[in-house]
Amino acid sequence: MASAANSLRLCLRASRQISARPATASPLLRRALTTTAAQCARPGRKKGWKDPSDNFEFPEPYGDKVFNDLGEQLRYSLENDELSEADRATVQRALTDWENRPNEDKLEEQQIIKDIDKEFATLRAPVRARKNSFWNSEEQDTDLITDEVGEDDFEENDMMAMGHAKLEEHREYREYARIAVWEMPLLSQFAKEFVPPKENEVLRFRYTTYMGEFHPADRKVVVEFAPRDLTELTEVQQSKLCKLAGARYNPEKQTIKMSCEKFELPAQNKRWLGDTIARLITAAKDPADTFEDIPLDTRHHKFKSTPKYPKEWYMSEERQQELLAQRKESLELDMKKRRVNELIDGVKLIKNGVLATVREQEPVAVRVKGR
Amino acid sequence: MSATNCLRCLSRPSVSRGVVVPVFAPTRTAAAFSTTAVQNAMPSKAKSAENQDRSVKVYRAGRKMTIKKKSTTDRGKPPGPGERKAFRKKIVLSNDNALPVPWVPEMEAGSLSDPKQVGKIVSLPATLQDQLRATEAFQPTQTWGLFRKPSTLVREESVQLMGKMEKAVADKTTARIVLTGEKISGKSTMLLQAQSHAYLNGWIVIHLPDAQELTNGSTEYSPIPNTENPTLYMQQNYCLKLLQSIKKSNEKILAKLLSVSSHSELPQNITVNQPLLSLINAAKEAEGAWPVFQALWSELNAPAAANRPPILLSLDNLPHIMKPSAYRSSAFEPIHSHDLSLVKLFVDALSGNTRFPSGGAVIAATNRNNGPRIPSMELALKQRLAAQKGEEVERKDPYFKGYDERVERVLRSVEVLEVNRIGKREARSLMEYWAASGLLRTTVDEQTVSEKWTLGGGGVLGEMERAALLTMRV
Repeated sequence: MASAANSLRLCLRASRQISARPATASPLLRRALTTTAAQCARPGRKKGWKDPSDNFEFPEPYGDKVFNDLGEQLRYSLENDELSEADRATVQRALTDWENRPNEDKLEEQQIIKDIDKEFATLRAPVRARKNSFWNSEEQDTDLITDEVGEDDFEENDMMAMGHAKLEEHREYREYARIAVWEMPLLSQFAKEFVPPKENEVLRFRYTTYMGEFHPADRKVVVEFAPRDLTELTEVQQSKLCKLAGARYNPEKQTIKMSCEKFELPAQNKRWLGDTIARLITAAKDPADTFEDIPLDTRHHKFKSTPKYPKEWYMSEERQQELLAQRKESLELDMKKRRVNELIDGVKLIKNGVLATVREQEPVAVRVKGR
Repeated sequence: MSATNCLRCLSRPSVSRGVVVPVFAPTRTAAAFSTTAVQNAMPSKAKSAENQDRSVKVYRAGRKMTIKKKSTTDRGKPPGPGERKAFRKKIVLSNDNALPVPWVPEMEAGSLSDPKQVGKIVSLPATLQDQLRATEAFQPTQTWGLFRKPSTLVREESVQLMGKMEKAVADKTTARIVLTGEKISGKSTMLLQAQSHAYLNGWIVIHLPDAQELTNGSTEYSPIPNTENPTLYMQQNYCLKLLQSIKKSNEKILAKLLSVSSHSELPQNITVNQPLLSLINAAKEAEGAWPVFQALWSELNAPAAANRPPILLSLDNLPHIMKPSAYRSSAFEPIHSHDLSLVKLFVDALSGNTRFPSGGAVIAATNRNNGPRIPSMELALKQRLAAQKGEEVERKDPYFKGYDERVERVLRSVEVLEVNRIGKREARSLMEYWAASGLLRTTVDEQTVSEKWTLGGGGVLGEMERAALLTMRV
């Protein structure tokens, strides 16, 4: 439908250029080309006024007022709008022009406008998703690059849409390649040298940005610090601070990590974090209760053990010598045993054992007389 | 031989030719192309059930649905009650097919505690075998049945353990030892060695072969009258069995020992100076078993003047008595294992509350295969071991709820002996014994020993058995 409107617009535009209407006609006369209802564009916005048929914008409604014809609208405009002298004269001229026209003309124009209205009513009506539709598939996609109508028809005057799309893709690649070559190196001008935090810079903040896009998490600020670094606190106070931090304390890394996204701006969140840490420190310093009787709770943390290859198992020169010596010793032991025939051979023993039993038990047939 | 039929025309010459002449009746011309024999049409079949006229009801006649009985195959007589268990628990201690090993000496009183004997194999004398059989020290999972004569390896740990036992006797104290170690590393065998040592040195041995039997609800139990807070429970059937095994295994010593006090509360009145064997004989039925056992225990622990022999109290599968038992009280609350009187007796001895007047030892072995995980026990043993080695002792997790204080109290001061992996020297002598018994078909040299030792997890004895002994390649 959108494409139908588009082609209709183009046709109307073409016909407008060859129309016999005088060019001096008020801008309101162009209304016949618009797809909107017969309403007057606000004369006050005349400066930035464009042909509404060109960019297909729907002008704002003229209040709640509904006009029957152009004359009425012009008259209303003369009475109520604040117009410059020149505009007023133009409008006055248009009005007289309108009034001087024959009645059939007026009726014809009204009829045209009515027809167009009727034609475009379906376009203007908001498309609602059907109840049983699957992913709202019947909705028109207005964001398509091509209008998909007659796309595959080759008319010998241009490349096909696919070709254009491919070209567009190439253009995009090349644009990014240009950026990579010419503009990215310039970023190094903004590089800052890493300065390790000083001893009094204990807190490490982390902010999140989504490169200018709105994101619900872009206000979040995270702070991490090690209670050990707070040198103003005694050991007891530090351990109290850890206990106060509860599940925010990581016993493996020995750090406290907290975050805030309560407020709208990152700065506000950061402020809140700073205040909270200050309050925690004052509480930790409070000598009324040092929490020394309470053991540190680490149930929230899962300790991970990463097995490492034991140091003793690495092969070294010494270890090699040691192993060689062991092997030599065992070889000598075997040799010694072999020499005195003390080495135990399972196979041989079994053979001997079996032979012995066979010799013992083999029955010998004896002839008994008389049988 | 000539064919009876003419092969070309496939017609039999014996059949008279006149019949073969086909007579084409005019009605059969349609079937002239058929390859089948000319036959009269079959009489039309009766209408099938589907095509039958439904309006006429037809009752099936002459047929009945019959369910065929399954033919029962004769599987022979099923095993009688207890027969299966007896087969499962059957212990075979000798194998006539195995070769006798001439150079293995018999175990003597001092052979297990002699450091020079480490790495040697010693065989168990026949009387000792009977005694150990009576206390159920042998287990069906062990490989006694492969060899001609039951023998054990003297390990470093066994010498340590026997040394501790001997020292306890010399000092007239009680050695309280828990054996730990990996799966199949030889903890139960170590218990067996301790018992052997005790028997050969004239101790009295009371062995509870499987702690599981006491606590998993498989024997009868009843509350002991006049015990409150907590109520104690006795297991009379088990007690009777235990008494009989004590009697059988310690008969010689018990016959010599005389009672020091009279026991009029028993079913059979026992007066002073009667042999303890007759005291045990007083338990004829399960009913009076627990009082008799109590009397025996008090007699054995009579003051030092009575000159009693040292006592070895041992138990296998320790974790099973370190948790609530499967028994319930009259209020249907689980009974803690330590409230079972027999377990309490053992646990009191293990914790050091009961001291044997003429010295002795309480030895318990943990088990890793079938044992429940007892966090308190594991932690306590770890702590004891670390303290013995002089390392940093692991602390209790303050936020863990699974600890049991009664268990901790028992294991607070025990000595832990780790039954470790064996060294290559021990492994070699063991494998030489295997080969000499005809169970290892290789030459036992350093390479084979090293190979099997490595395959067996670096000297885990049971794993070595699995690697070399139980997977023999012929």
